[in-house]
Amino acid sequence: MPEPASLTCIMHPTNKRQSMNTIRSVVLVAFIISICASARAQSAVKKFEGMWSDPPTTITGDFCASYCTDAGIDRLNALMDDPANDARPLAQLRTDASDYSRDKYLLPKLTDATRKTYPLDPADDPSFLRCEPYGFARQFIARHQLQIREVSKDRLEMRYGEWDARRSIHMDGRKRPLNEPPSRLGYSVGHWEGEALVIETSGIRGDISPWRTMHSDQLHVIERYTRSKDGKALTLAATMEDPATLREPLVIKHIWGWAPDQVIATYDQCEIPKEFKRGTR
Amino acid sequence: MTKRSGVLLFATALLTFGATTAMSHHAFSPVYDDQRVITVTGVVTQFKFVNPHAMMFMDVTDNSGKVAKWTVEFAGRLNLSNVGWTEQSIKSGERVTVTGNPTHTGSDRMFFRKLVHADGRELLPAAPQRENTLEEERRQRARERDARQQK
Repeated sequence: MPEPASLTCIMHPTNKRQSMNTIRSVVLVAFIISICASARAQSAVKKFEGMWSDPPTTITGDFCASYCTDAGIDRLNALMDDPANDARPLAQLRTDASDYSRDKYLLPKLTDATRKTYPLDPADDPSFLRCEPYGFARQFIARHQLQIREVSKDRLEMRYGEWDARRSIHMDGRKRPLNEPPSRLGYSVGHWEGEALVIETSGIRGDISPWRTMHSDQLHVIERYTRSKDGKALTLAATMEDPATLREPLVIKHIWGWAPDQVIATYDQCEIPKEFKRGTR
Repeated sequence: MTKRSGVLLFATALLTFGATTAMSHHAFSPVYDDQRVITVTGVVTQFKFVNPHAMMFMDVTDNSGKVAKWTVEFAGRLNLSNVGWTEQSIKSGERVTVTGNPTHTGSDRMFFRKLVHADGRELLPAAPQRENTLEEERRQRARERDARQQK
């Protein structure tokens, strides 16, 4: 039986040497690329590792200490650029910009059914009623401390002061396992895009959204973290999709400030409320 | 109002504090009335610098000598430590005057807005310099805007 042409070619003594040289070169190049990629990732992760907390004291940082949108930031800038507002307190302008962001950007993106439930009664919040920790959608933008740590070359940990919650970010290129059931903080996989940390999270159990409606377990979030050039701020831009409750994806932002001296204290004194009133805003 | 001496109740709408109420993680409005503030004076029996909310317990004595056990709720340690508070910021046994939002039910409880120690030192929820810095940034922006417009 004649040998396949490719095999014949490989088995020829001269070609065999050439092939071996080619393979060695390919392996060497792949090795170098792998080393370089790993070094880049190591360099990038060092820029994020450590303790972050309240944003730098700037107007934008303050506005985004909880969460904000570009629509809100633009509105706030426009209000400050108008001399007619110079005598108004900054707090008033912030409120106006937040209202604008809510009315012109967030609410129009809600499905009709979800819009009817907006805003949820704060007295129905399980974090308030039963001291249940936040679900992903509120946890990942929780105020105050965020500690980022490289647990291994394949895994990052994000630990939050709020609820002392921890989430793992898988950095080895894996996908979310198909049989992974939805959980409170979902399943996160990440990668580096240049010096930006990009994390994709799905498998999130239905819970309360930052904008005070419920989201479904179809919520899918792409987080993009970048560190400012001066190293003092960490900005998150999160694209959130949920076909069950949102007409289209929306983007929210959050800013932390570099805070190497801070620590995360225990979070174990939550008190179930003994008295409360329904129907408040 | 006459229920307790040492308790000064301002039952008027107070927008200065109320408009900026920001309860980060636990619902504020179901428990506290952000349109009113009250002030009580008493002796601290315990200050717990914990998460999610720091708590202070104090004895407030009325004219007849009857002691009411008050609870004052604060933001959490994770928040207050950012503005320099420690476990020693309030000490057991000291006499303090506290201003805050009362509960909807009028129970002996409030949400902290301001505390004055016996020597006059004040504790506030956020560092005043932060707001000053923001206002200065805003004034600078306005100056730059005006300069651009004059060119």
